[in-house]
Amino acid sequence: MGHSNWPEWIYVAVVIALLVYVGAEAWNIENIIEHVPEDAEIIKVTAQQWFWTFEHEDGTKEIGELHLKKDHAYKFEIHSKDVNHNFNIPEFVVLMDAVPGRINTVWFSPNESGEFDIQCREYCGLIHYNMRAKLFVEGS
Amino acid sequence: MRTIWAPIILIVLFATPMIHLAFAAETPGEYVNRGQEIWNLFFRMMTVAFVVGGVIAGTIVWQVWRFRESNPNAKPTPYEDKGDL
Repeated sequence: MGHSNWPEWIYVAVVIALLVYVGAEAWNIENIIEHVPEDAEIIKVTAQQWFWTFEHEDGTKEIGELHLKKDHAYKFEIHSKDVNHNFNIPEFVVLMDAVPGRINTVWFSPNESGEFDIQCREYCGLIHYNMRAKLFVEGS
Repeated sequence: MRTIWAPIILIVLFATPMIHLAFAAETPGEYVNRGQEIWNLFFRMMTVAFVVGGVIAGTIVWQVWRFRESNPNAKPTPYEDKGDL
């Protein structure tokens, strides 16, 4: 053809650069978020229609409420006894499926004290709307 | 051969610094603020999405304006010129 096609190559390069940036950045942040601190306390979370049960490392159990310390790391091991649920603390952007027959994990560290909502984020039956718990974060 | 070098040079110039920038931004550490990281990622991705959307919309507007029939610079295609259409 003989005509110059450099604008097309620039276009292709920009598209590739953007895709690489989006992929790399998302991968990077995902890695940062999934990196669990070694001193994280493990809390077993059991979901069932239609309430939450929490078991601390020392064996203490809580139903419908969870007490945590500010600026401590917690790793949740989440499973379900019946149907699919989803463990969600909106304030701290914690979101993980609770699936029967498997344990899913998610970790976070509360950076402010107070009272926060825990809710089910996966439709799980008649009283799904009220499958809630309270998170109490106490000062360090 | 020149056409092979052009994308390679452009990728080295643009894509590689992007990767470096993305990975150098933060190193995995303890007690990261999960909410902050996720929302910041979301805002960055939205910025990229809106820039791409703006460029595409702008290109379409420019094309429609530039290649309209009434544009004094518009030239008929060879087919139109011969009256084949």
